[in-house]
Order: sequence, then structure tokens, then C-alpha cells
Amino acid sequence: MRGRAMVDLALFGFVAGFLALGLRRPFLWVLAYLYIDIVAPQKISWFLLASIPISLIAFAAAFGGWIAADDKRDSRFTLRQTLLAVLLIYCGVTTVGADFPAEAAEKWSWVWKALVFAIFLPLTLRTRLRLEATALVMVLAAGSIIVTGGIKTALSGGGYGSLRFFVNDNTGLYEGSIISCVAVAIIPLIWWLARHGTVFPPDWRVRAFAAALTFACLLIPVGTQARTGLLCIGLLGVLSLRAVRRRFLYLALMGAAGLIAIPFLPQSFTARMSTIENHKADQSASTRVAVWLWTLDYVKDHPLGGGFEAYRGNRLTVQTRDVEASGNTVAVEVDEVEDAGRAYHSSYFEMLGEQGWPGLALWLWIQVLGLWQMERLRRRWAGRTGPRESWQGPLATALQHAQLIYLLGSAFVGIAYQPFVLMLIGLQCGLWSYCRRIDSGRIVRRRDRPVLTPLAPPAIP
Amino acid sequence: MVDLFSLALLHGLLALAALRLVLRDDLDADPADDPGTGDAGARDG
Repeated sequence: MRGRAMVDLALFGFVAGFLALGLRRPFLWVLAYLYIDIVAPQKISWFLLASIPISLIAFAAAFGGWIAADDKRDSRFTLRQTLLAVLLIYCGVTTVGADFPAEAAEKWSWVWKALVFAIFLPLTLRTRLRLEATALVMVLAAGSIIVTGGIKTALSGGGYGSLRFFVNDNTGLYEGSIISCVAVAIIPLIWWLARHGTVFPPDWRVRAFAAALTFACLLIPVGTQARTGLLCIGLLGVLSLRAVRRRFLYLALMGAAGLIAIPFLPQSFTARMSTIENHKADQSASTRVAVWLWTLDYVKDHPLGGGFEAYRGNRLTVQTRDVEASGNTVAVEVDEVEDAGRAYHSSYFEMLGEQGWPGLALWLWIQVLGLWQMERLRRRWAGRTGPRESWQGPLATALQHAQLIYLLGSAFVGIAYQPFVLMLIGLQCGLWSYCRRIDSGRIVRRRDRPVLTPLAPPAIP
Repeated sequence: MVDLFSLALLHGLLALAALRLVLRDDLDADPADDPGTGDAGARDG
């Protein structure tokens, strides 16, 4: 009890201190909001922070600070921010006519904030240090959840739905599948910070911490036993091939690490991962496929979507098929399970069912445009070695890889509006805008350079 | 205990980062924006 009170006081002091520093540098209010939205300290707290609307205070301070005190000359509104604004309006419209108005209004109450912040964030990311600080706070804030999960997994092995983070809460980053996906997605950002960070300049301590945090990130899918996480780790391994020089050595080392790790993995983990191949035997996976088919059927009659939480209207009959071979006999057990109101378990189908084809198209446009923009930055800034131009390409690569991992993970988890991912999109928009400004400045300076003309007129032959 | 360790470590790092950021001039204005200091990217363009 006394210990909890101390944690409460310490968290309150931390948040109050962070907000107080914003009086000197208002951008810290933006970082404070990122921290509060990711960690949700008001959920960890018992009384002090739990009784204060700190998220609203930080939200208002971030906006107010930018409007009142920040330089807006270099702020640009990018195409993706416009698309996010259109998506925000469209979601508002579908909420008005939603199939389940009360439930839809509840989801809208946090989705609009996440979308508005993603639109706003790039306007504040005018400097290199702000881009780095945003990535750093996102990684450290998510890291506070990941480190505790990683240590508990190492000590006890975890378990599906039983790995407890700070709170008994299954929302936001505290949900097993979501934290698994996010933990793997931030690994490229961790290493960008370890190599190019200036707040914590690269040295052996930073590299050691990055390695330990990466290990904790990789343990999260083991601890939560979320199959999505294992797929994300696989994709991370493939994407890393782009960055390494000795690819065959890397593949051999990865293979060896995987083989060494298998005996140390909990049996419940390997048993659950085996259902990725044999999804028909697993009710959770079979229900997922049934919901997706229901969604495709649903949008035939509702092409504009049914608003948030439209899945609540589904009624499903799922057949699970378990094949067991024993000697020369094969036993096939078929079960039929009735289910209703099952969630989408996929961001793609979440967008399709809730916002219809226009909403899905908008969301995909935002995602694909991000991949394309990061690829352009990656190529444009590749191979530069100057002190002020060597970080842009690797950051674009890290953000692109994080997004690709998210896009794979989100195929099996309904996280289309996950605030952390929307922050990543905001960071991408900020980097895109920043690099375009630097490049355009360079072109203008090149044009302004005086053309050397001969002082004497050319001799007439 | 694990929760406390994790909270203390990561919040300590966040606090240190915030303090370092407040003391940095380049948080609000990139050196690249200042024509007086120049920019490596701009010079070679």
C-alpha cells in the first residue's frame, strides 16, 4: 500500500516536472502528450493522476504552446495530413449513422483525438532534434511497458493472456497482440537512435541498452504468445537483409540463433505457434476467417461502412477441424461453434466493415503513400556521409520498416487507429516535410548563386 | 519489483532526455536554418 502511494507520488512528480519544463520549451508539452498517450500513467496511478485529466491537460498545452509560442514559418501541411483530415471527417459522418450509435460514439471519443494529434504533430517537427526527441520519447515510453514484459517473460515464460504489465488492462499498448506488434516495429527505431542519436550520443552504454531493449522487444511475442508477433519478427529478419553487408553470414547467424532459442522457448509458446500452419484446428483463427468473410458479405449491402463497432452485428457458425494421426489411423474431429459479435481481428477488415470501401481506400492511401515517401527519402539521402545529412536516409528506412511490420501485424489485429501507429505516421510526415524543406532550400540557394559573367564584353571577331 | 525497476529505469531516462532537451538551443531552431552557421547540405549543393 505504501509502495503504491510512493509510485503514485513519483509518477505525479514526473508528469508535473515534464509539464513544468514545457514552460521553458513548449515543445516538451508535445512530448508529454506522447508519453501520456503511450504509457497512460493515470491507469498505473491509484489516486493522484487517476483523478486529474492529464491527457486533456497535455493535449491542450501542446496545442496552446504551438499556437502561442512556436515559430510556424517552417510548418507545412502535407498531403498525408490532408488525407488524415478527410478520414477524420469521414469517420465522424459514419459515427452519426452508425449501426451501434452508443458503442460507435465511445470509440469515436478516442479515435478523433488520435487522428487530430497525428495531423498536428508534423507541424511541430521543424528541427532535426525535434524529430529525434519524438522518436526517443516514443521508444522510451513504449520501452517502459516492454522492459517489464520482457523481464517477466525471461523469469516466468509468460502465457497467452496471462502476461501482466503494469495494470490489469487489455486496452492500448497493454493488449498482448498490440504490444507484440509495436515492440517488434520499434526495433529499427531503437537502432537508429543508438547510431544517430544526439540526446544520448552513441557509446558503449547506449549500444548495450539498445541491445537489451531489442532483446526485451523480441521476448514480448514469446511472453504474450501472440502469433502476430512471431510473423512480425520474421518480417523484421527479412527487412534487415536490406541493411546488412554480409547477407549470407547474417542468414547463418539468424538461423543459428533461432535453433539455439527453440529449446529455451516455453512449450505452450511452440504449441500455440504451430497453429499458424494448422489454423483450422484453432477456434480463434477459424473465427477470424469467418468474421472476415462476414465483413465482405456485409459491405455488399453497406458499401459505405456501418460505423465504428459494426462487427457487433455478426452471427457466425464456425467449423473447427482437428486431424490426429496415430499409426495407420487418422482421426478427424469436426466441431461446430456458434459465435456472435466477434471483433474484426484485422485492421484491413476493421476499416472495411466500419468505414466501407471509401474508408479502406483512404486508409490504404495513407499507408502506401508513407511507404513510398520513406522509400524516396531513403534513396535520395542514401550514401551521404556529412554530419548533417547522414541521419535522414536511415531514419526513413527505420520508419518504413516499422510501418511494414505494423502493416503485417495489423492483418491479424484490429489496430487501424492505434494512437502509437498514428504517431509514427505523424513522425513520417514530419520527416518528409523537413527533408523537402532542406532540399528546396538547397535548390533556392543554388538558383540564387550569382552567375559569373565576364567583366569585359566578348571580343568581336 | 520488476514493475518498479522498469518504471524507474525508463522514467529516469525520459527525465534525463527532457532535461537535456531543455538545454539544447537546436530544439527550436535548426542550425541549418541559420544562414550564419551554414549547412553542410547547403554548402555542397
